[in-house]
Amino acid sequence: MRLPLLTLFLFLAPALAQSVEEILDRVEKNLAEPWQAVVRGTFQGPSGPEELEARVYAIPKEDLFRMEFLKPASLEGNFTVITAKEVWNYLYLTNQLLISPREKAQVQGLGFSPQAFGDLRALAKEASLRLAGEERLPEGVAWKLLGQTRGNQGFAQVELYVLKADPRPVRFLFRDEGGRVLGDLRVVAFQRARLTPSALKRYPKDAQVVRR
Amino acid sequence: MRGGCAWLWLLLFPALAQGRLEAGAYLQNGVHPTLEAAWTLEEGEVYLRLQPGRGGLGYLGGLALGPLGYLGYGLQGEVGKGGLGGAVFLEGGAGPLALEGRLSYRPQAAFPLFPEEGLWGRLALRYRLSPKEVAGFFLERGRAEATYALRDGATGTLGAGVAEGPYLVLGFKGEVGEEGEVLDLALRLGRVNRLEGGLYLGEASLLFILSYPWAGSLTLWLGDLGLEAGLRQSPYAWVRYAWRWP
Repeated sequence: MRLPLLTLFLFLAPALAQSVEEILDRVEKNLAEPWQAVVRGTFQGPSGPEELEARVYAIPKEDLFRMEFLKPASLEGNFTVITAKEVWNYLYLTNQLLISPREKAQVQGLGFSPQAFGDLRALAKEASLRLAGEERLPEGVAWKLLGQTRGNQGFAQVELYVLKADPRPVRFLFRDEGGRVLGDLRVVAFQRARLTPSALKRYPKDAQVVRR
Repeated sequence: MRGGCAWLWLLLFPALAQGRLEAGAYLQNGVHPTLEAAWTLEEGEVYLRLQPGRGGLGYLGGLALGPLGYLGYGLQGEVGKGGLGGAVFLEGGAGPLALEGRLSYRPQAAFPLFPEEGLWGRLALRYRLSPKEVAGFFLERGRAEATYALRDGATGTLGAGVAEGPYLVLGFKGEVGEEGEVLDLALRLGRVNRLEGGLYLGEASLLFILSYPWAGSLTLWLGDLGLEAGLRQSPYAWVRYAWRWP
């Protein structure tokens, strides 16, 4: 009995692996044009679970993403911009813009990378994803993908839900090594938008620019 | 010998990979060259400040917390006319709190790169009361100030200070263009009388300080070229140009 099961698994495994790749392809195609959304949920802050709400803007063809924080109150006015080569973190209270090379940037200050919301390929590079079935969410039927990180990304596991009818991520669950939830975030108010690179790179011109 | 050269090269190469050089001429009772240079290391940066009669070498480090905050710290040692000097400083913010602290000592002021004289300290704290409100507290030798700032589109600031006598603080800061151009004005009236302003347009910035008893400065930055003129006991001018690499 074991042998046929093993054979079945060996037969299905490449098919499932292929499916993750197919899903990422579909998401990439579906999100090729500029879009914006709101990310809402909770994350594990330095002093415990905190509410998070942020606007995400993306121009995927330019490899350009912007995340503006609305909640928690201490982050309101802060934003993160991810370009092809750099990560910018603007800090409202100190009026500083910290620019780091993308490979050196600590975007995991929240326990996860904001880039994940717009760039599943980048997330797939950080975490090896596998398909774990389908689930019915309020938004519709979604593929459930599970991933383990390959390095120190600020989280150890990710659970990701991709809407089938309109292939895009709708929910992210980030966990640490012990399975504790670091972030549980939903993507809402998704819409196609007319966005320009200069609008996504906008920052107060009196900000102190610190290059790290 | 060759091994030594290779080690020196290995040490210098990362330092030279990224940096900034700012050369200038300070005109007040003669022409005095100024030089500021900074080299980015794997962690932090080393900087050098030189002018006739005084030089300083410092290290600037930082702890980046992504979107949550940033903490910068550093120390500086000086040699030159009057004797040794030094400074330690800490600045940055995390979550709802921002702070800036600086403590320095030098036997005598040396304009323009080493302006403070004697034992000098400054402490500034800012705390976010709510998303739109920030309370500030500022302490400097001989002066203390408390402010309240409310952001509703633009940011208005109201505060009071004491420096041998009381004074009032009024501030306005807001965007004046589509691309993040900013106008920043601060007025202090009373025992301290000073109007400070800045118009930041991106490639160009215009800054001024006007105070009474009469003193002031006007600074214009056009890209990497800085032009400053003012009155500090006597008229002065300072022209600077910055090179950055890569």
